[in-house]
Amino acid sequence: MNLQELNGKLSQIKDKLIAIEQKTANRIFLSCEADNAYAVNKFLFEDVGCRFVIATGIDSDDCFEVLYHYSYDQTGCVITIKAFIRDRQQPAIESITPFLPAAEWIEREIHDILGIDFKGHPNLRRLILADDWPEGVYPLRKEVKK
Amino acid sequence: MNWKIWSLKKSPWVFHVNAGACNNCDIEIVDLLTPKFDVERFGIKLVGSPRHADALLVTGVGTRQAAIRLREVYRQIAKPCVVFCIGACACGTGIFHTGYHVAGPVDQIIKEVDPNAIIAYVPGCPPKPEAMISGIVKALSVL
Repeated sequence: MNLQELNGKLSQIKDKLIAIEQKTANRIFLSCEADNAYAVNKFLFEDVGCRFVIATGIDSDDCFEVLYHYSYDQTGCVITIKAFIRDRQQPAIESITPFLPAAEWIEREIHDILGIDFKGHPNLRRLILADDWPEGVYPLRKEVKK
Repeated sequence: MNWKIWSLKKSPWVFHVNAGACNNCDIEIVDLLTPKFDVERFGIKLVGSPRHADALLVTGVGTRQAAIRLREVYRQIAKPCVVFCIGACACGTGIFHTGYHVAGPVDQIIKEVDPNAIIAYVPGCPPKPEAMISGIVKALSVL
């Protein structure tokens, strides 16, 4: 899928996106605010028919980012949704697990290590940190020093 | 020679503990136990319980979660015993030195239980089976 084809499909949710960038022939980035991430994910998964690959959590300079990576398998195009979470004190984003069960564990992992609250997640328990790890300490945040 | 030490050296049965390894060292340990290297000629045999073992083969950095289990396994093993730190991570935490999940190198974790523990180091990432055989023979020959 190239940018033109995707652009045609994206026309319905264009108002929810901040930017659409094509870095190479098979690599497209869609940026959006955290509030719109759920709708963009749902559109890409259900309407465009992309396959969810993985999500990434990043502690950026002024915000948290959650990157949802999708693959459009007919052409091998990888599409990444960048969701910006501006609230550093109580970072939260809507969970995509209700319509995409494959995202359950990666959302739990991001919650563990970055402390991002996935609203509507059915089972947001600790996944990878040690049992004796203190509550409320998120090891991959920038302010945490060993 | 103390008969306990004699029997330990004659046929050290080993128990394998993964304390947060990437599985590379573990695969080399499995290699070590194959007929190609034939460590049973030294009486070395893998056993399924620390209570049957004379030596621990510890791989991995010693994560917070695994350190508790490693101490418990060490408490259960019959003494005298030898602890072998297999690989760079177990010997000195390696590249994970500053990781948030690291509880310390394996020797430190073991020494919290028993300050006089006999600990041998086989560095490498992963160490070759030949290096492990050499390390085990060297450690047993100084006992």
